[in-house]
Amino acid sequence: MALLRRISTKPAEWAYIVARVRVMSRKLIPREDYNKLLNMDIHEIARYLEESEYKREIDELAYKYSGMDLVDYALSLNLSRTYSKLIRISKGVPRQLIVQYLRRYDFWNLKNIIRGKMFGFPREEVEATLVIAGEYDEQFYRALMAKETIEDIVKTFEGKPFYPILDKLVKACPLAEFEDELDKFYYQSLTSISPETIDMKYFLEFIRMEIDIKNIKTILRLKTEGAEMDEIVPKIVPGGYQLKEDVARRLAAMELDELMKSLEGFWFHEAIKDVLREPLSRIEVYFDRMWAQKVVSKSHHFPLSILPVLSYMLLKKIEVDNLRILARGKAEGLPTEAIKEQLVIV
Amino acid sequence: MPVEGLVAIGAGLAVGLAGIGAGLGEQAIGAAAVGAMAEDPEFFGKGLLMTVIPETIVIFGLVVAFLLMFI
Repeated sequence: MALLRRISTKPAEWAYIVARVRVMSRKLIPREDYNKLLNMDIHEIARYLEESEYKREIDELAYKYSGMDLVDYALSLNLSRTYSKLIRISKGVPRQLIVQYLRRYDFWNLKNIIRGKMFGFPREEVEATLVIAGEYDEQFYRALMAKETIEDIVKTFEGKPFYPILDKLVKACPLAEFEDELDKFYYQSLTSISPETIDMKYFLEFIRMEIDIKNIKTILRLKTEGAEMDEIVPKIVPGGYQLKEDVARRLAAMELDELMKSLEGFWFHEAIKDVLREPLSRIEVYFDRMWAQKVVSKSHHFPLSILPVLSYMLLKKIEVDNLRILARGKAEGLPTEAIKEQLVIV
Repeated sequence: MPVEGLVAIGAGLAVGLAGIGAGLGEQAIGAAAVGAMAEDPEFFGKGLLMTVIPETIVIFGLVVAFLLMFI
């Protein structure tokens, strides 16, 4: 019976969502257009977005905002809507995996709301950073932002598995440590999924590789800032693909030059083998680009799996980040070359 | 059982099994075609064409059934 159900529904549920994301991927901004965008000012960028997939959001928000604010809000809203759409149009295993992956935005939003509350940022500014794509909806976040104190916000999550982390924050835990703990909780909840089926296996492999990229970026960033091993180790997310906790610990103990040389043999080394002497911000861009390329190439090898969907989600996020860097760079009057160096063009 | 009865069962199986096979083949293609069309209606022609390709299997089954019944 199970076999019959497998034969009768499995290919269809993957084929549907994969076909949709493949068509959606065609609508992402082509790499050639970034050169055009680099020569535009902030208002021209907003106009360009109005003629693209961001039209609906720009039209909706243009009466209220302009310039950088308009672009910022429209990008966040579009990202939320795109991710919510993916949940809406999928079912079965693909939906489960997408929902699991998008839970990162619940934590992202929670971190931003708490940070906003802690430092007294205006509510509108915090709202612009929210990506409503996880378990909770817009109303929930509005209610959360309306709470008077951080304690009230934390109380809302009583009974949730991550409540102890929030509770620790109230009891004077540093904000950075709290954010690291939430990240760890998120990744641990994903890596603890048992790889029963091949679909789960692909998903887990993706998550583990993402952890590798996150960890190596953390190690390099902290090393560049001159941090000691004891400061780096608590920030390492366990469950990496090649960069397991003990390996990460070993790398964290090395000097920066030695560390760079030791990266040979890791799957992400090809991203940086020719650029070891470049500044860290550039190296991070190379990591992101190589990671995206790797996911895209894997998604072509395993077309009826979660990988094309994850690849689309990653590319969409990169596109939104790129547009934000472009718009912010232009608004701040940064030179075109400096902006271009920060873009992850896949 | 007379031979005509067995031939009729064979003909039925030829069409029936071919139909099931084509259905299994078409489910993923159909789902993908509908997915692509939902995002971009321009895929209608290509989607329809791809969806009916496995139908040819049923035609083979039908031919076999005719051969069994009438030749």
